[in-house]
Order: sequence, then structure tokens, then C-alpha cells
Amino acid sequence: MTTPDLIDRLASGVTPVRRLRRPAMRAAGWLVLASIIAGLLIAGQGIRPDFRQSLADPGFLIGLAAAVLTGVCSATAAFMLSLPDRSRGWALLPLPSLALWLSTIGYQCLTNWIAFDPDGMRWGETARCFATLVLASLPLSLAILVMLRYAALLRPSLVTVTAGLAVSAITAAIMSLIHNFDSSILILIWNFGVAAVIVGLSGTLGRRMLAWFATRLTLPQG
Amino acid sequence: MSQHFASRSRRLAVVDGGSRSAAASPVSGPETAAREVDWSILMAHVQAGNGDAYRRLLREITPYLRSMAARWCRDPGETEDAVQDVLMTVHAIRHTYDPTRPFGPWLTAIANRRIVDRLRRSGRRQARETPLTHEHETFAAPGANLSERTLERRALASAIERLPAAQRQAIRLLKLEEMSLKEAATATGTSIASLKVATHRGLAALRKLLSGRNGETR
Repeated sequence: MTTPDLIDRLASGVTPVRRLRRPAMRAAGWLVLASIIAGLLIAGQGIRPDFRQSLADPGFLIGLAAAVLTGVCSATAAFMLSLPDRSRGWALLPLPSLALWLSTIGYQCLTNWIAFDPDGMRWGETARCFATLVLASLPLSLAILVMLRYAALLRPSLVTVTAGLAVSAITAAIMSLIHNFDSSILILIWNFGVAAVIVGLSGTLGRRMLAWFATRLTLPQG
Repeated sequence: MSQHFASRSRRLAVVDGGSRSAAASPVSGPETAAREVDWSILMAHVQAGNGDAYRRLLREITPYLRSMAARWCRDPGETEDAVQDVLMTVHAIRHTYDPTRPFGPWLTAIANRRIVDRLRRSGRRQARETPLTHEHETFAAPGANLSERTLERRALASAIERLPAAQRQAIRLLKLEEMSLKEAATATGTSIASLKVATHRGLAALRKLLSGRNGETR
């Protein structure tokens, strides 16, 4: 097909499109979804028993605030980076809060994966922790991937990493409201594992990584 | 706003620097800015579904995209493929353009991404591919792999050259050109019997020559 033919085909098949809202608005929309999921999970599983005491603990508060801030910043960065004409510098936005958050993270959750009891070995708190983690992060990941699917044509790796960080941080904040154990490391490993796999796939398989969601190049019919 | 335009023209000029076609290179100065405002307005119409605006916009940006692609792709076909790839991408993500922002950087970013992507992909492909040479088998069937026989054929031809004239002629007509004895006799004006003798002696001599050659190589 020659280029003039292609232009004619594209022009004759053009349909009205709805403009994307501003990236900050879209990030806010995703964060609203995150808070709804947080509300549902807290309603379903109950807030952590020692919530009142933890409110008095500055370490807990700083960790929680840093996680939320990381989530907000990296979601904003992901939506900014997904647009072709925005600077790559947006990728740096979540770094300060990420550093603060990582410095407050503990590692109890990993060590508690299998608890030793008089009855023998059984799945410990971590297994339940993991189930909540999946419940929280899966819908958030799916939502952000769908919202950012067109970025597959532009800079998929950077967008995937920042979106993965947003999901991780928000999930960690939700988990810290529900579970006694600090599961941030687990969440980071889980989400960054997934993000790394996706980024790796995008490196090796080209643009196929968001295969289910990605915007594809198709000609309009007729 | 005016600052936007200034930075935009600078960017276009940078991207387009060194391009060859005069039609493709946006003229610097207010003309570029005016054209880009046009493009922004056209794109806003496109988002509302206006096909004529879309046709005009795509036609206007094509030479510019071509000059960008031509800086990277040697082959004109490859350049055209890259241009079409960019046009398809613009089509697929036309909803991401915000008409309050300049059009130039949006288009340039998409074009750069797609062209770089194509280069990477073709680089990967080339890294996996090896050009076929005579040493490579083309098909599994032995008949297709004639290159090894070339040497044998050459040896045969040179051996035939070394035969006495009568034998050489007999071998050439009867064995290589596959004439019948009668045709060969007519063509050469010799008798069938002498052709038979010449062929027999020629074959014997060839056998000796070629086996001697094989003996040398072994």
C-alpha cells in the first residue's frame, strides 16, 4: 500500500475520539479506584487490631505516608510518561518518597512465610497476607494497564516500571492498614517481579508485552 | 504561548536539520509557527471526526516525517514503511493529543519512538540472519545443492579440453549436447563408426584423466 493510499484509507475511516483527560485527572481517577478497593478490603477483612496504637507510632505514620506519596507520585509519573510529548524527567518524581518509604520498610513478612507450631508446619500469616496482596494489586494493575494501553507504542518500559511502582506503593499502604506484619518487602518483590518480567518480555518480545491491552495499529474498515 | 511556538520551531529545526528536500524542511520563523497552529487546529477537527481535515493534516506532515525517517533509513522502501508506521501510530493514539499544547513535539516524539523502534527491530532481525552464500544448503534435496558440483563440472570441462580434437568433438556432440549418432555424423561429416570409436576412446581417456586427478587429490 502506498502512503497516499494509506492516508486516504485512514482519513475516510476516521471516527470521532474522546480526548484523554489531563494526566493528573486520570491519575486521580485511578487513585479513587485504589481508595475504593482499600475501603472494600478494610470492610471485608477489618482494620488491623493494633491500629490505634500504631497511629501513635511515628515510624508507622511516616511509612504509610511515604507509601501513599510514592503511589500518588508514581501514578502521576506513569500517566505523564504515557503521553508522547511529556518529558522523561517525570520518571524522577517518585524517587524521593520511594527512598523514604524503602528506609522505613521492615522484612517481617518474608521471615514469617511458614510458622512453626506444635502441630507442625502450616501456612503462616504470610499466606493470608499474600491473598490480600493479590486481591488488592490485581485489580489495580489491570486498571492501570488498561488506562495506559496506548503507551505500548511509545515508551512501554518506563511506563510499566512507574505503573508497577504505583501499584506496589498503594498496595503496601492498604496492606499496612489491614495486617500487623509489615509486608512491604513482599509487595515490592511481588509487584516488581511482575513489572520486571513484563519489562523483560517487552525487551525480548518487542512490543508484545501488553498483548491483551495494548493499542494496536489497525486500519479502519472501509 | 509565544514561548511555546518559539521552542517548537527550534525543535522542529533541530530534528529537521540536514534534511534534503526543501519541501520537507519547515521554514524557520513565524511561518513554521503559523503552520503548526494550523496543524493543532486540524488535529482538533480530526478528533471530532473530520475526515477532510485528517487528509490534509496527514498529507502535510508526511514530507516532514519522510525527511525524519530518511535520516535513519538508507533504503527508500524502508523509509516509506517507517512513515506509514508513524502515520498508523498517529491514527491509533490520536486521542492522546491535547489541542492546548503544541503539535510539533507530540508528532516528533511519536515519530522518533517509532523510527527508533523499527531500527531496533531490524537490528535484532539482522543479528539473527546470515546472508545465504554458496556454502549454505538451500534445500534438503541434493539436486538443489549444485554448488559443490561446480568444481567437478569445471574439472570435467578442463579434462575434455585436453582430449584430441576428434574425441573432444565426439564427446561434446554425443554426450554433452545429447545428439544421436546419426545427427552427429551429419553435423561433423564423419562416419558413425568413427564417431563411435572416437567416443569410446574419449571416454576412456577422460576416465583416465579424471581418476588421475582424483588420485592426486586423495
